[in-house]
Amino acid sequence: MKYLLTATALTALMVTQGFATELKVAAANVSSYLDPGRDHSNVGSQFYFNTFDPLIHKDYSTAEAKWVPGLASEWKLIDDKTMELKLRQGVTFQNGEAMTADDVVFSLNRMYQATFAPYQVRSRDRLENFAGAEKVDDHTVRIIVKRPEPLWETLLNLQQVFIIPEDYTKGLTGDPMVAEDSDYEAFSLAPVGTGPYAVSEFVPGQKLVWTRFDGFWGDKAPLEKVTVTRVPEIASRLTALKTGEVDMITNVAPDQLALVDSEPNMHAEGRATALFHVMIMNVNHPKLKDPRIRQAMSLAIDRDTLNEALWLGKAIVPSTHTMAEFGALYMPDLKTFEYDPERAKALLAEAGYDGFEITFDTDPVYYTNGLLAAQAIQEMWATVGIKSRIDVDEKWTGNDPEMMARNWSNPMYFADPFGSFGVMWAPGGPSESEGRFNTDAAYAASWDKFRYSSDIDTRRAAYAELMERIKQDPPVLPLYQPYESWAMRTGVTWVPQAGHIPYVLDFRSGAITVDASN
Amino acid sequence: MTVAVSASRPVLIAALRDLWADATPMQRFAVGLGVSLALLAMATPLIAPFDPNAQSLLSRLRPPIGFDRAKPDYLLGTDELGRDMLSRCLYGLRLTLTLAALGSVIGLLFGGSLGVVAGVVGGRTDTVIMAAVDTQIAVPFTLIAIFLLTLLGHSITVMVFVLALYGWENYARILRGETRKLMRMPFIEAARAAGATPARIARRHLLPNLMSPIVVQFTLSFSNIILLESTLSFLGLGVQPPTATLGAMVGAGRDYMPTQPWIVIAPAVLILIVTFAVQTLGDWMRDRADVRLRPR
Amino acid sequence: MARYAATTLLRMFMTFFVIITMVFFATRLSGNPIDFVIGQGITQEDRVLLTKYYGLDGSLWTQYLSFLRAFTDGQFGLSFLERRPVIDIVAERIWPSTQLLLTSIALTILVSIPAGILAAIYRRGWIGSTVMTVAFLGYAVPNFVLATFMVLVFSYVLNWLPVVGNGTALHFIMPTITLSAALIAALTRFTRNAMLDVLGQDYMRTARAKGLPERLVILKHGLRNASITVLSVLGLQVAALAAAGSVVVESIFAWPGIGDMLVRAALTRDYPVLQFGVLTVAIAVIAINTLVDLAYAWADPRLRQAGRV
Repeated sequence: MKYLLTATALTALMVTQGFATELKVAAANVSSYLDPGRDHSNVGSQFYFNTFDPLIHKDYSTAEAKWVPGLASEWKLIDDKTMELKLRQGVTFQNGEAMTADDVVFSLNRMYQATFAPYQVRSRDRLENFAGAEKVDDHTVRIIVKRPEPLWETLLNLQQVFIIPEDYTKGLTGDPMVAEDSDYEAFSLAPVGTGPYAVSEFVPGQKLVWTRFDGFWGDKAPLEKVTVTRVPEIASRLTALKTGEVDMITNVAPDQLALVDSEPNMHAEGRATALFHVMIMNVNHPKLKDPRIRQAMSLAIDRDTLNEALWLGKAIVPSTHTMAEFGALYMPDLKTFEYDPERAKALLAEAGYDGFEITFDTDPVYYTNGLLAAQAIQEMWATVGIKSRIDVDEKWTGNDPEMMARNWSNPMYFADPFGSFGVMWAPGGPSESEGRFNTDAAYAASWDKFRYSSDIDTRRAAYAELMERIKQDPPVLPLYQPYESWAMRTGVTWVPQAGHIPYVLDFRSGAITVDASN
Repeated sequence: MTVAVSASRPVLIAALRDLWADATPMQRFAVGLGVSLALLAMATPLIAPFDPNAQSLLSRLRPPIGFDRAKPDYLLGTDELGRDMLSRCLYGLRLTLTLAALGSVIGLLFGGSLGVVAGVVGGRTDTVIMAAVDTQIAVPFTLIAIFLLTLLGHSITVMVFVLALYGWENYARILRGETRKLMRMPFIEAARAAGATPARIARRHLLPNLMSPIVVQFTLSFSNIILLESTLSFLGLGVQPPTATLGAMVGAGRDYMPTQPWIVIAPAVLILIVTFAVQTLGDWMRDRADVRLRPR
Repeated sequence: MARYAATTLLRMFMTFFVIITMVFFATRLSGNPIDFVIGQGITQEDRVLLTKYYGLDGSLWTQYLSFLRAFTDGQFGLSFLERRPVIDIVAERIWPSTQLLLTSIALTILVSIPAGILAAIYRRGWIGSTVMTVAFLGYAVPNFVLATFMVLVFSYVLNWLPVVGNGTALHFIMPTITLSAALIAALTRFTRNAMLDVLGQDYMRTARAKGLPERLVILKHGLRNASITVLSVLGLQVAALAAAGSVVVESIFAWPGIGDMLVRAALTRDYPVLQFGVLTVAIAVIAINTLVDLAYAWADPRLRQAGRV
């Protein structure tokens, strides 16, 4: 309570000193809806962190998992399947409601025991192990899992379980005592959370305005107001930044970085994002059933040259489905994916490849450099003798039995191999269910050890087993972690932080400074 | 032109010589330009220095000869995948001209005949044809293109079909209007009264008088189709990469306008030249076709 | 006249019905929105769940009926993507689009009719060729190249004009030019040719013979008769502007308009938005064309006497 008073006093002080800083952002895309529970898109993840809090935060400046209190001030396991959390006191939502244990239980169970179809979908691939949450008293909740959970904090830090207000949500449509599907839909147009910025205006697909929430429980937000506008063309975004219409822009492709660097009044910040651009291959396509064909498709791709040519060498080419963000489970020593055109030729000959045409599907714009990479891959395939055709379409073809190969991304939804490879390639998971990947009992057994073992070494060994299976019968090739950049005017200091999931626009205290005089 | 078709050889040559003598320098220039473009397009496989799709990934985005970082092999520089701009421009020109010519001719034959039929026959036929025209006019063409391309695939054949479908309603509507106007003219009524068959009326009286709107619409449609193809590429719906058309090159290269403008300038200038030639010739032919404006 | 109005209305209604029915079946044939909305990597079980949730599980016929019903509730259904009434989405975008369309039409008429007349009168002189050369440029450059070029010159380098959005009058300059360039080129050309046709007509000769001043003859007789062609061209081009042209302008200038909405809805198969959006454009186009038809009848005395257009 005392803390809150100081924060309020500080707010008053700063306002009188004229710290009314405003930031204008031109983004390539703005979400069509804002609901952290339902969304896991790369577009959406930009926007949730400023408005919502999880129970457990982390130190986002580092890739390491350093957990810090969020809306829970402390947490402990009371048995191997139950965690008890003490809630932070004096937290209010942006609409003025006080946050209570009821709100927390409501938020968690809307995912853990989902009835709303889009929540059920999201919950199944990552929150399957969570049975439910219950209230102990006004400031204490318990969360119960089905099997002992090695990733407690990680899975309580997820965007999908950010906390939302119960009464507000239920009261949006229909009966104010019942959570109807239409309540969740209405919420996604007028979202309310406990974070430092309230969404004060939202035009789906077009515009988002944040205003500082002065009742925020933590460090005061550094900006008074942030306006994000969709500006899809890169030439327009760069120009708007140059003319001063906006202070910051997203999605600057590597080829434009030289221009930004050459301008005295702007600078770019980027990092190799915690996400893989991948090529997927349909193991069940009649012509690709022989794993040697797919191995050859994979071995023929010179990913280092792709990196050198398209990413200025700033992307990260992995040797296996792993990234540094995984901490103890980062396993760069595994060699699952390699470039070996000679071996590719040999495998094709062995498999009796007769020159049939392989189609490579790609989205026209979604992945930075995606269309260029597709064409480069086509040429690399041609050098080992694979004939191919590119099919550009926004349509998702990953569930089409006719699909042969296409590009996709495997984002890191949370910092664990389970949050990237695990979500996409689990037994019965989306890839298998879409019919382009098969698993068997042995794979499932390795997967289970990897997912639920509490011993790091067991998990590492199990993950290595999975990677060996992927190598022998490849359904996927991670191309690289793309180097994504943002540009901003001189006077704005912001960097994408290592501890976040990809694309988060973190404007919280300490993450951004804006020189207002500029 | 109708005269030319039925004329014997010496008469044709004389007519052409006559035309040339009558042309302004600009028109002569346009003829020269048109002929050279057509020759370039035909000779492309012989003169293009590189395979238009061959990449050299580590020599991407090189400027044309004479600028910094240029590589001597690449006269017009390289594109975003290190492909030779000159070769792509030539192949792009070739395919673009083919697409535009096929598209305009098919559109003219289809829309034009419907328009004339509607104008001559009238009645219920007219109502049905004009209802189809109204429907097409009222629905943004981009959406029709998106639908057809997703349903039928992105092959070149489908693209020709889509391009041909663009503009048929213009031919139909304009030619129907002109035909109706002409049908009320005294000389046609007189011919009808004299017992001329509809076919004869169409050939002798309608067609010569429709030449002017047809030619103008054809030249507009030719350049329109080139631009439509580039707009479809802008939306990611054009011909599939790596195939080069002028429109696709411009559409895919637009992100590089602030940094490597030559990727867009070369194909854009070619579009400009093609359009200039086509339209100047169109204007000229239109003036010639209009009997009343001939000298004497 | 009442009978004429009734037939016209009936025909308009029929056209709308045909259009929405075609849009309905065309969209259903060409893809499932689940593949676009949340389609990437969901399990088969979840796919079924979502298909049911979005009401896409019924037969085509039931879907068609519920789609027609959506026209009666005043909301025109919920967007699959945004989950809000379609009417709100269209309402948000219709005014910015209309504004841009109006400024573009105004600019087109102001520039192309005088230019076309000049080009016709001075057909063989340098004025004629200059006008036609400039007009042709508008036709010869893809509009996104023209727009990006203007953005780079007038904003990036010179910093004279704003790029993003529709806030002030200055924001209208580049989008309006981009949108009208092709239209100006086309209309100048048609005006010129129509004027040439008219200049050779007998009644022009008669008017001249009567000793009326040349300028007056051209303005009075020439312009009125040329306007038939001009009007019909203008009517035809509006639909094209409403989508193909404007989606480019809207992308480049981040203009919240209807073209961008339509194309995005078409690409993501957001059926409800697409259906109502297409209908809105169709209504606008048909209304404009009906007006043009009326003006046509007014401009052409022969048709005026014949009664029905």
